[in-house]
Amino acid sequence: MATDLTVKIGGEAGQGIQTVGDLLCRVCRQAGYFFLAINDHESRVRGGHNFLQLRISDSPVLAPASQVDLLVDLDGITCEQHGDELKDNGLILCRPEQQPERDGVLAVDFTQLAEKAGDKATENTVAVAVCVALLGAGEELCRNVVAQFFARRDDLKEINLKAVQAGFACVSESGLKGWDLAWEEQQPGGALLNGAKTLALGAVAAGCRVGAFYPMSPATGIMAQLVQLAEHFPMVVEQAEDELAAVNMVTGSNFAGCRALTATSGGGFALMTEGMGLAAITETPLVIINAQRPGPATGLPTRTGQGDLLFTLHASQDEFPRFVLAPSTVADCFDTIQRAFHLADTYQVPVVVLVDHYLVSTSMLVSERLEVSPDAAPKAPPEPPDDPATYERFALTENGISPRLFPCQSQALVKATGNEHTPDGHVSEGRQNRNAMVEKRLAKLPAMKKEQRPPLLYHEEAEWLLVSWGSSYGMVREAVDILREQEFDIGMVHLVDMWPLPQEPLQGILSQHKWLLVEQNATGQLGWMLRAELGVEPQGSIFQYDGRPLEVERVVKQAAARIGG
Amino acid sequence: MPTIQDYSNNFENKWCPGCGNFGIQQAMKKAFVAQNLSPHELLIISGIGQAGKTPHFLECNFMHTLHGRALAVASGAKLANHELNVVVNSGDGDCYGEGGNHFIHAIRRNLDLTLLVHNNQIYGLTKGQASPTTEEEMITSIQSHGVLNRPIRPLAVALSLGAGFVARGFSGQPKELSQLIQAGMDYKGFSLIDILQPCVSFNHLNTMAWYKERIVDVTSLEHDTQDHQAAFQLAMEWDERIPTGILFQQDEDDFTTRNPWLQDGPMLHRKYEAEKIRDYIDGLYK
Ligand SMILES: Cc1ncc(C[n+]2csc(CCOP(=O)(O)OP(=O)(O)O)c2C)c(N)n1
Ligand code: SF4
Ligand SMILES: [Mg+2]
Repeated sequence: MATDLTVKIGGEAGQGIQTVGDLLCRVCRQAGYFFLAINDHESRVRGGHNFLQLRISDSPVLAPASQVDLLVDLDGITCEQHGDELKDNGLILCRPEQQPERDGVLAVDFTQLAEKAGDKATENTVAVAVCVALLGAGEELCRNVVAQFFARRDDLKEINLKAVQAGFACVSESGLKGWDLAWEEQQPGGALLNGAKTLALGAVAAGCRVGAFYPMSPATGIMAQLVQLAEHFPMVVEQAEDELAAVNMVTGSNFAGCRALTATSGGGFALMTEGMGLAAITETPLVIINAQRPGPATGLPTRTGQGDLLFTLHASQDEFPRFVLAPSTVADCFDTIQRAFHLADTYQVPVVVLVDHYLVSTSMLVSERLEVSPDAAPKAPPEPPDDPATYERFALTENGISPRLFPCQSQALVKATGNEHTPDGHVSEGRQNRNAMVEKRLAKLPAMKKEQRPPLLYHEEAEWLLVSWGSSYGMVREAVDILREQEFDIGMVHLVDMWPLPQEPLQGILSQHKWLLVEQNATGQLGWMLRAELGVEPQGSIFQYDGRPLEVERVVKQAAARIGG
Repeated sequence: MPTIQDYSNNFENKWCPGCGNFGIQQAMKKAFVAQNLSPHELLIISGIGQAGKTPHFLECNFMHTLHGRALAVASGAKLANHELNVVVNSGDGDCYGEGGNHFIHAIRRNLDLTLLVHNNQIYGLTKGQASPTTEEEMITSIQSHGVLNRPIRPLAVALSLGAGFVARGFSGQPKELSQLIQAGMDYKGFSLIDILQPCVSFNHLNTMAWYKERIVDVTSLEHDTQDHQAAFQLAMEWDERIPTGILFQQDEDDFTTRNPWLQDGPMLHRKYEAEKIRDYIDGLYK
């Protein structure tokens, strides 16, 4: 029988359910299981109700499941809030005082066991141990993972190992029967990663040397990862005073010759738009990660969405070429950010990488290897001309790309301005020059288009197609699998390189098939793009804009209703 | 040896005849030559406004950026390569208005750059609206009943933020100004030079004569430039007497010295090592 179990742990903010999730992920990894964990939390530091949902499987998992096998209630309201998600044969783990009336409940006094182990703070470890025991794994495996987790703190290690022991003892005493999974310690089948980490790693792989940012969920995690990597690789990360500073600092670094990164979310990105224009007109490479959350304004700070596609496409005044890339998975974040740096440098244009709370914060087992791209390394600037006085930073060229030297690195002077300018970088209001410069910048587009990855296709020969983009890849793909099992003739087309829009084979496929738009916004922004660029219309749409990860079940239901009816 | 001539180009100057900016331009050239810097060894980052145009009228590397954002761009350039000689040209509106937040935090950050604020107490380029330093009650096309807001005292702000080099210059004294710019460039850390600069077209109150009547060189006041309290008092003086010169100077470690990540040389020159990255990634799969 295939293994596919979901554990949901609910607790208050500050209670450390993150650690519970992290430890459980590590146990799964050590036993060769695939997993995917999503974080759902309110925008508060203490209290409230947060949960972490972990799906464990013996085959790769790309989406969270909606039905829960083991519900862990650490805050006394998890059962009430999520009880209806529990499968009939599911188990509940809760505190004694909050025991619901039903079979399959294990009440554990986490606090008491933790205190006995030596510290109330080990409650989470007790919970982990109880979960792992119920899932059928051996104590040894759990001990090893916990010991490794606390490897650098001997005192903590000891009491947490006692907590593990207490958790296991408690399950065996209860006589409650959990699951009979094969848990054997083995060579891990991949790396435990989340989108934030792969984005930061990808930036390092691309030779990024400077990070500047202003904290904003869900982008902060990316920069925090970058800070960790700065301990191992040449990198300086500066917390800017605001996003205006962050984006312009990054432009300054790029101008000076270092690859640099900033990451933000909607409101911060809105503040960065003017700076994006400065990079555009000075043809300075710029990479911005916009980790979307629902808006407008502060919106839902800790939740997810895909509401910024058109905004990103049009951000900043007037017209200039840009790339908009939307990675599909945690692993794809690594490739995409490397490409972002490469493309920004090659075409001297802004690149926005559109991710979202879901992708940045989802942890999973990445089994494929993260490969450092052969294009990843920053390239040395071209040789300055023999007569440095003849150098023109914005020389008119056929492909619109001019030789980019770095200031103070040769005798040639690098002059740039956010005003319209002549090829030598001085302000100019001349009519012909203006036209020439607009055309020069836009001349990059044909080659930029050729860089774009075609959409990801899955059963694209089917009568019906689901058309989606970015981080929803895993959920839509699972929906397609379920629908196909239900004998629907359906496939998917999933866009990852959003702009310039890769026309082929999209145009052909979408004009020859019936298709449904699947987006995490309320108006169908990808649909708008496809209509404008390709003149194609969907037969229907499935939108989710509640700030929660796209629900596979919803997609399946709505698609079936539309196709069936 | 670089010469003044090296810093001249034939790009058409667009300032009004008689503008105070000419004095600043002259002082800058002098200072750069005295610093033994050739144009290719200098990077100027400027904001938007009449002041922001300055680097176009000099021969140097430059980025003429956005209104208010010069310090941010300059800071980024320094993060990438802290060996760059960076001078920032900004206006009173550019620096204390639109870019006020960057001004505050650039002082706290203490990167080694020299900020020249062309303080004409008016928005010059946009034709005469009040700036953060415009005198109270001055009538403009927008402040038609006179300026109601109190003017900012930028040097006092800088001192309150712990700035290590705080000076005031006057465009009507290019020689002294040039010396201030040199001292600012010599200072290792963030240096602020607020420069009184008559705008002949839109500020008919704070004219060359108005400034000349009031300015007094701090060296004539037996001022101790290490005395923070005294400096603060001088920085708050305005209507009767306007102190010029270095009000405060104190050595302290700049950003680069304090930043643990920058101890192995400028980021620009750090090697790219694909092998190291691959090794790190390998570790994640173990
Ligand atoms: C975002 C933005 N807002 C407004 C402007 C218009 N603007 C250009 S310069 C300027 C003020 C210039 O005043 P100041 O900084 O004192 O420079 P000055 O011209 O006096 O040297 C303004 C408001 C702009 N260019 N960008
Ligand atoms: S408007 Fe004023 S500041 Fe601008 S150039 Fe003319 S005199 Fe100088
Ligand atoms: Mg001004």
